[in-house]
Amino acid sequence: MDATIRIPYVDVAKQHATIKDELLTALSEVLDGGHFILGEQVDKFEQSFSELCGVRCAVGVNSGTDALILGLKAIGVGPGDEVITVPNSFVSSTACIRLLGAKAVFVDVGDDYNMNPKNISRVISSRTKAILPVHLTGRPCDMEPIVNIAKSHGIYVVEDCAQAVLAECQGKRVGSFGTVGCFSLHPLKTLNACGDGGVLTTDDPILGDRLKIMRNLGLKTRDDCVMWSQNSRLDTMQAAILLVKLRYLDRWTARRRENAGHYRQALSNIPQVKLPPAEKKYERAVYHTFVIQAENRDKLREYLTAQGIGSGVHYPVPIHLSTAGRELGYREGSFPIAESQAKKVISLPVYPELTEVQIAKVCSCIQDFYSKH
Amino acid sequence: MKVRFSYLDRQFAELDAYLADLRNLVISGDFTLGKAVTEFERRFASLCQMPFAIGVGSGTDALILTLKILGIGAGDEVITAANTFIATVGAIAMTGARPVLVDNDDGYTINPSLIEDAITERTKAILPVHYTGNVANMPAIMEVAKKHGLIVIEDACQAISAAYDSQPVGSWGETACFSLHPLKNLNVWGDGGVIVTRSEELNKKLRLFRNHGLINRDEVEFFGHNSRLDSLQAVIGNRLIGQTEFITNRRIANARRLDVELADLKEFISIPARPGHVKHVYHLYIVRAKRRNELLAHLKRNEIDARVHYPIPVHLQRAAAYLGYQQGDFPMAENDSRMSITLPAHQHLTDAEISYMVEQIHAFYLH
Repeated sequence: MDATIRIPYVDVAKQHATIKDELLTALSEVLDGGHFILGEQVDKFEQSFSELCGVRCAVGVNSGTDALILGLKAIGVGPGDEVITVPNSFVSSTACIRLLGAKAVFVDVGDDYNMNPKNISRVISSRTKAILPVHLTGRPCDMEPIVNIAKSHGIYVVEDCAQAVLAECQGKRVGSFGTVGCFSLHPLKTLNACGDGGVLTTDDPILGDRLKIMRNLGLKTRDDCVMWSQNSRLDTMQAAILLVKLRYLDRWTARRRENAGHYRQALSNIPQVKLPPAEKKYERAVYHTFVIQAENRDKLREYLTAQGIGSGVHYPVPIHLSTAGRELGYREGSFPIAESQAKKVISLPVYPELTEVQIAKVCSCIQDFYSKH
Repeated sequence: MKVRFSYLDRQFAELDAYLADLRNLVISGDFTLGKAVTEFERRFASLCQMPFAIGVGSGTDALILTLKILGIGAGDEVITAANTFIATVGAIAMTGARPVLVDNDDGYTINPSLIEDAITERTKAILPVHYTGNVANMPAIMEVAKKHGLIVIEDACQAISAAYDSQPVGSWGETACFSLHPLKNLNVWGDGGVIVTRSEELNKKLRLFRNHGLINRDEVEFFGHNSRLDSLQAVIGNRLIGQTEFITNRRIANARRLDVELADLKEFISIPARPGHVKHVYHLYIVRAKRRNELLAHLKRNEIDARVHYPIPVHLQRAAAYLGYQQGDFPMAENDSRMSITLPAHQHLTDAEISYMVEQIHAFYLH
């Protein structure tokens, strides 16, 4: 094995090396326009993004977290309400509920790391306002039953699509199932700005217009403030960067899927490794992360690090067991599947720029580790 | 001759240096709270002569995060000025607290003698706005606050480098909130904001609060926001922050020149008092003008980009309807919304442009 191959967990610089002239040209165009707040590039990005998701409106905001906050707020979530979500996500999907004064109610997940629809009905109460499924790892949740449950109880669905641009369930893109979809454009996401950014999708033009007012201090025009709101605009510079990257997104996503395929093949006969379940025929995952469950996870990570291979854990502490999450009133054992996964999951590098040689090295290192341990 | 309100095109005169910085950033991939942000925070703190500066997503977020971290929320009241930009009032409302407005004085800042009447048992804080780059009467405000046990938070979004009795803005309150919006004196190329404080504890909490409450990558201390100053914007900020003194001095010089050259029009144009103990930094050069709308139209016709901040006072905005204020409640702010006009006074104006502007204003009133 070639010991000189180093494989960082993420390598944004590598992505940018191939397109930096295009990026700088796009930034120069913003400078020539002299316009740094909203404007042409943001409009164009929103237009393209809405088409990409198959909805009528997209609204660019300052981060994925803000997308969730504004999305929940737009459907009226506030003190006294409950929102159903999962404990195995990044903290912000719960934080946004708490920041609005509402209560986060968790359900356990399935083998695919996503909300198990079977668990939802029993936690619905008269205060439940919405279900917030998270398309974790870039894999779509099983949306049909989730949407049906929401419909039958007259509650909303707000999708957390932070990790899942272009993921599909039954031929429909994520972000088009719920009343709103909330995406992150953070530098480490599959569609990434060079800083914080987020975008909301909705098929309801009235809600779309409302969100555009909500992200801009409640201003309908420069002088007409129709509601108090925050300032959460997608930067024009970031929109220009994103427009460049949109040209490559299909290609990059295909590469991620290929990389996932290589891993599946090469790791399938290691008994200590549990691969993500095969995609169902109605699913199309985009592999924001490629997550396996590994025996002796922490030792494996150390071993990989020593071999120059980066990895991640998404996430080691389920939200209900974090310091912040204690107030939710759950305890160890409340969500056995999420808790068990948290102890075993490890994310392997899966970005588009990885080479087959690099993937082969990751896989053989994992093999070596288990032959020694 | 065109006199623009935005000076950004002239900032781009030295574009290559900025692009070189951006190129390095793009290649480094260091986009979230990296070196550039740390450096900018250090320099901003030192500019304000304060120990701590925390970069956030916008000036509005600076206010929201501060109010929330200080525990202000539903059931509380926060006193602020009736003549501010809507974001000040919006920030208070975002926390669930009730904004309580107080009229301004001749200098476009909150009238300290009216504050006490607005205090109730629910009042938690006073949020003076250093509007236009002028400084609110901080000694008087601090005294009222002390007497009633209230927190003071400075809205310094328009007032970088301003001072009262030689004490800089940002050093009076529990925190001060600054905006780096593209049209501010010290600007970046998108939204950005900074919170300044001398409290080590607030500094620590605010750093967590702007970043999901994360102590490290995996441990969450409390549920927080995502409101970080972009590294990309910090790179721009680091290029510009060294120019703050120059920018401030140019704006002050331009304002003084306008004050002098418009003085003979005092029948038509009323220039606010300029007390010597206040360092006004003229984010907005605002005067009160007779036949304001006609003057505005005249200037626009002659390609001078004068503006109005703001034609509708905040208490008469639709968003404020639930607060129950009416026309007549804030006579000063209401009068200002009819009479105020903002003239370009930015650091890149040329002498010829100022002369032309002065000429056009004279032409309007005297012919």
